[in-house]
Amino acid sequence: MNLLTDSILVLLILASFLLLSSSRLSNCIKTVALQGMMVGVLPLAANDSLTCRVTAIALVIAGMKGIVFPYMLFRTLRESTTIKELKPYVGYTASMFAGVVSLVASFWLDSRLHLPVAASSRLVVPVAFSMMLTGIFLIVGRRTAVNQVIGYLVMENGIYTFGLAIVRDVPLLVELGVLMDMFMAVFVMGIAIYRINREFDHIDSDQLNTLKG
Amino acid sequence: MQIDGGLIILLLILLPAIFSGVCQMLRAPLQVLRFCIAGVVLVSIPGLVAVFQVFRKGPLFAAGNWLMLDILSAYHLLIMMMVFTISALFAVGYFREEIDMKEFTIKHARRYGSLWFGALAAMMLVLVSNNLGVMWVGIEATTLITAFLICIHVTPGALEAMWKYLMMCSVGVAAAFTGILLTAASTVPVGIHPTEALLWTNIMNSVSSMDPVLVKAAFIFIVVGYGTKAGLAPMHNWLPDAHSQAPSPVSAIFSGFLLNAALYCILRFLPIVEAVTGNSGWGRDILILFGLLSIVVAAIFIIGQRDVKRMLAYSSVEHIGLIALGVGLGGLGTFAALFHMFNHSLCKSLAFCCAGRVGQAYGSNDMRKTTDILRSMPVLGGGLIGGILALIGVAPFAIFLSEFIILKTAIDSSRYWIAGIYLTGLAVVFVGALRHAIAMAWKPPEEMAPDAPAKICLADAALVVIPLIILLILGLWMPKLLAEFILKASIVLGALS
Repeated sequence: MNLLTDSILVLLILASFLLLSSSRLSNCIKTVALQGMMVGVLPLAANDSLTCRVTAIALVIAGMKGIVFPYMLFRTLRESTTIKELKPYVGYTASMFAGVVSLVASFWLDSRLHLPVAASSRLVVPVAFSMMLTGIFLIVGRRTAVNQVIGYLVMENGIYTFGLAIVRDVPLLVELGVLMDMFMAVFVMGIAIYRINREFDHIDSDQLNTLKG
Repeated sequence: MQIDGGLIILLLILLPAIFSGVCQMLRAPLQVLRFCIAGVVLVSIPGLVAVFQVFRKGPLFAAGNWLMLDILSAYHLLIMMMVFTISALFAVGYFREEIDMKEFTIKHARRYGSLWFGALAAMMLVLVSNNLGVMWVGIEATTLITAFLICIHVTPGALEAMWKYLMMCSVGVAAAFTGILLTAASTVPVGIHPTEALLWTNIMNSVSSMDPVLVKAAFIFIVVGYGTKAGLAPMHNWLPDAHSQAPSPVSAIFSGFLLNAALYCILRFLPIVEAVTGNSGWGRDILILFGLLSIVVAAIFIIGQRDVKRMLAYSSVEHIGLIALGVGLGGLGTFAALFHMFNHSLCKSLAFCCAGRVGQAYGSNDMRKTTDILRSMPVLGGGLIGGILALIGVAPFAIFLSEFIILKTAIDSSRYWIAGIYLTGLAVVFVGALRHAIAMAWKPPEEMAPDAPAKICLADAALVVIPLIILLILGLWMPKLLAEFILKASIVLGALS
C-alpha cells in the first residue's frame, strides 16, 4: 500500500514540474487534470480499510478535478485565441528552479513543524506544501488568465492533500460544500475570462493594470 | 412566547435564496429594485425576532447544532440588515437615471437582483453557521457571487477589478481553509467525533487540551486568509479597485458588510486561540499589528487620492484596521471596536451611496472635477460631505466616540507606542480627507457644474438625514439597550468578563 501512495506522490511532484515548464495551455490543462485525478484517488491508496463512503467521495473528487474542471477550462480556451503563454514574468528555467527550491523548502518546513500526520506516508505533507507553493507561484508568475486558474487548481490540490494528511475525517457536508465552491469558482473564473477576452481581445491579465493608487 | 429557533434560522437563509430566484421572473427593472426593498424588509422580520430572542434568552441552535445564532452573530446580523436596507433604498434612486437612459435593462436588473439576494443568503450562512467549515463555504460563496456585481456594467476597469478581486480573495480564502484544517487537526487529541470537530461550540469547550503550536499556526493562516477578504493591509490591494468600480449600492454592501463578514470569521477564532495560549495575548497582538499597519497604509494612500470612491475604499481599510486594533487591545477596546463596526457600516454605506449619485451627476468620480457640490446638489452633496466628516472622526458624531475609547484603552494599558502610531494615522487621515472634502464642498467649479439632478424626492432627503442623525445621537447618548447588547457580544470575544 505504502509503495502505491509514494509513487502517486512522486507523480504529483512531477506534474507540478511539468506545469512549471510547459508553455502550451492545452498541455497545462491536461497535466492539471492528471494531477487532480491522482489527488482524488490518493485516499484510496493511502487508506487500509476502504469504506463505501471514502471510495464514493474519492471517485467524485477525482471526477471533478480530473474531468469536469479541465473540461470547463478547455471550453474557455476554445473561446479565446491565446493558446500559448507567450512571455511569462518568470522564465521556464527559472520556474523549474523555483519549483526545486520550493520542494526543498517544503521538506525543511515539514521537518520543523512536527505535524500530527494521520496518513501512512511521511511524504504527504511536504508534497502538499510544495503543491501549494507551486500554485501560488503560477498565479503570480504567469500572465495568461487561464494559467492563473490552473495555479489556483494546483493550490487547491495541495490544500486537499494537506487535509488528507492531517485530518482523519472531514465531515461529508463540509467536503461537498468545498467541492461545490470550487466548482463555482472555476465556473465564475471561466465566465470572467470569456468576458475579459471579449472586451480586450486577449486573456493576458497583465493588460489589466490601469487601476492604481 | 415560544419560538422555534431552528425554523427562524432556516428561514433566514432560505428567504433570500428564494428571493434570488424570484428576481429572474420579474419583468421591469424598477420592479426588481422595489422587490429588493420588499425582500430585505421580509428578511428583517424573522431577523429581528431572532436577534430579540438571542438577546433575551441566549443562543439559538438549528440543524443538529451546525447552525447557531449567538449574541455576537446577532449583532452582526443587525448591522447586515441595516446595510442591505440602505443599499436597497438607495439603489432605486441610483439606477433610475440609468433605467431612463436604457443602460440598466431588465437583463441587468435581473442579474443584479439575483446576485444581490444571493450575496445576502451567503453572508447569512456565514453568520449563522456554528461549523467553521460551513462558515468558510459561505465566505467563498460571497466572493463568487459578488464578483459579477462589480461588473453589472461591463467596462475594462470593472473587469480588471473583478479579476483581481476573484483571484486575490479566492487564494486568500483558500489559505484560510488551511487554517481550518490545522484547527481540526489540533482537536484530534481531544477526541471529539470527527463530524463534530469543527463546531465552534465544541472547540470552545475543549480548548484546554488542544495543541497550542498547531492552533497558533492555524490562527496565522486564518488572519492572513480571511484578512485578505476583510481588507487588512498588506493584503488589501483588491479592495480600492473593486469598491471604486462597482455600482454604488454594491460598494455600500462591500464596504458596509462584506469586509465585516470576513473579519467576523477572524473574531470567531480569537477566543479559541486566546484560550489555548492561556490568555497570553498572542492572538490579540497579531490583530494589533495588522490593525496598525492597515491604518498607516490607508492614511498614506488617502492623502494623494483623486477618486472619491477610492478614497472611501481606503477609508474602509483604515476602519477595518481600527476595529481589528480595538479588538486586539481587548477590554474596553473590544466594546469600542464593536460599537465602531456599527457606526462605520452605517456611515460608509451612506457616504458611498451619496458619492455614487454625485459622481453620476458630474459624470466623474474625480474629486478635482466634482467641486462646489454643496451648491449644485445640497442634499446628496451634503450627505457625502457629512459622511466624510463623520468618517474622519469629527467630534459629536459616534465615530469620534468609538475612536476615542480605543485610544483611551491603549493609553490606560500604557501601550503608548500603539497610541502614538494610531493617533498619527488618524491625524493624517483627518487632514488628508478634510482637504479633499473642503475642495469638493466649496471650491468654485472650473467648468460649469451640471444642473442638479431633477429628481430629489423627500425619500432621498430622509435617507441622507436619518443616518447622520443616528450617528449624531449615538455620539452624544448611548441607549442602554444597545450598550448591553454590545457588552454581551464583547464577552463572547473574551473581553470584560
